[in-house]
Amino acid sequence: MNTNIESVRRPKYINPYFGGVLLGLLLLLTMYITGRGLGASGAVKSAVVTTFDKVAPVHTESSTFYSKFISDSHSPMFNWLVFESLGIFIGGLISGAIFGRLKKIRVEHSPKISSKTRLWAAGIGGILFGIGSQFGRGCSSGAALSGTASFSFGGFLVMMLLFGTGYIVAYFFRKLWI
Amino acid sequence: MNKNYIYLTVLMLVLAAGLFVLPERDNSKQTNPEDLMWSIVQPTRFISTDVVAKMIIERDPTLELIDVRSEDEYSEFSLEKAINIPLDSLTSENYQNYLGIKGLKAIFYSNDDIKADQAWVIAKRLGFDNIYVMKGGLNCWMKTIIEPTQPNETASSEEFELYSFRKGASIYFTGANMENDSEGTKAVINVQRKKKTSVVEGGC
Amino acid sequence: MGPLIPQGIITGGWDFVIALLLGIAFGFILEASGFSSSRNITGAFYGYNFVVLRVFLTAVLVAMIGLLYFDYFGWIDMDLLYILPTYLTPMIIGAIIMGFGFLIGGFCPGTSYTGIAIGKLDAMVFTGGLFIGIFVFSEAFPLFSDFYYSDNMGNVTITEVLGLSAEVFTMIMVVVGLAAFWVTWLIEKRVRKNINPYKFE
Repeated sequence: MNTNIESVRRPKYINPYFGGVLLGLLLLLTMYITGRGLGASGAVKSAVVTTFDKVAPVHTESSTFYSKFISDSHSPMFNWLVFESLGIFIGGLISGAIFGRLKKIRVEHSPKISSKTRLWAAGIGGILFGIGSQFGRGCSSGAALSGTASFSFGGFLVMMLLFGTGYIVAYFFRKLWI
Repeated sequence: MNKNYIYLTVLMLVLAAGLFVLPERDNSKQTNPEDLMWSIVQPTRFISTDVVAKMIIERDPTLELIDVRSEDEYSEFSLEKAINIPLDSLTSENYQNYLGIKGLKAIFYSNDDIKADQAWVIAKRLGFDNIYVMKGGLNCWMKTIIEPTQPNETASSEEFELYSFRKGASIYFTGANMENDSEGTKAVINVQRKKKTSVVEGGC
Repeated sequence: MGPLIPQGIITGGWDFVIALLLGIAFGFILEASGFSSSRNITGAFYGYNFVVLRVFLTAVLVAMIGLLYFDYFGWIDMDLLYILPTYLTPMIIGAIIMGFGFLIGGFCPGTSYTGIAIGKLDAMVFTGGLFIGIFVFSEAFPLFSDFYYSDNMGNVTITEVLGLSAEVFTMIMVVVGLAAFWVTWLIEKRVRKNINPYKFE
């Protein structure tokens, strides 16, 4: 019978500092090749535009926000961030496969709440994040990470406020996590 | 494990500190030799005296005339509002401020265009853009603007137009008396000629 | 001399292939570091798992130092680098909203993609939420389009706004970051002793 020393099995993650160095070098390489940093939220935006262009083309064209992203020659999905985000997914798949994390569909949550609560929180968090990312001109990867690395004031500002707000708010939502 | 982290911490501090002690590097953009040769071969750097005259008369704000002759020659005669950067001092730092100003076209001129062309090559090598040479230099200026030659009667109407422009420019620059210019434009006989651009531009 | 694409050194259809490859590397690093788990991510806010801080800060510092060295050696033309424009008030509001979303949702877009990859339902729901959120934003856009564009400071850099040279700023960040790494190591040790050992996913 296994004693409870082994009750907490640590999954294999790489050393975070090592991961950080790799990520930093990747960011540097990206900036060297493309002149821009990495990003992620832009792909979802493209998806929104594409969907609504298909579903309600007239509305999309007349919308002041969407119209900027539509082009006659190609689908809005045909852009850099979409391909990069696809790559993120694939990279996650590869890493998950290597480290044995590809398992059945599951929900991860604090022992103190239920799966359903967690899913609701994820959804609401996603909505908030989606709205915020548009105002912030990027998410934590695009604005905070790449922005700060390229010495953009906006990027630095978003980084400080994003994580700062997280810390302040953490206390009120602690039930979700610990 | 901890010892490694201490090493890494020190490494990062050293790398960051290293940025402060790096000696100054001259990272100014220099045109590489192939690009330089290519742009020398292009004739696009030349601007005709007519265009320069037009820019002066119209007070074109993008005009920046640079006289590359010696100071003495410059003080004897120079084009309106031209600045003097003698060819041999072109590379000194005092004068670099006059080149590379956004929006300004720096046009070099000298007596003929040899010195001005040399100045252009030097400035191009240093990486400056928007620089030009006045074709034919001041010698051409005299022959086209100050004392333009009247085209003979078989010339095209464009040549007559150019001539009357030049006469007008000559008056502007020398303040000479207005001569009776009744024969300036030929009657409208549609001469179907091919446009002889080199003649019309009044090459010297 | 970089950047390569804006200078036409790499052209044509290679753009998207490169995007894909860089993305794969990005996703791999994120997942391998543990960002596919929302509990890992929010651990930073509660003191039991600072992986977010470590990876993020290290990456920023490495990239900043690297960029400055590249610039020094003339390997990259900083003028051609895209600087995120600063729209002061909207970005402040956006960052605050994102902070809430980050904490409540436990993901950010990039990490949620890796979460989906390994089968996390909450990551999928989060991404769905992103979609809805952006949609809501776009529909409501006419209401606040002026606000969205307000306070445009242009593509300002930290140097321009704070008056610190890039090297000085980097050094400050490095010192603060390294201090944070050591301090959080201590905090993590203490917090982990006190809370129930939790199951990593």
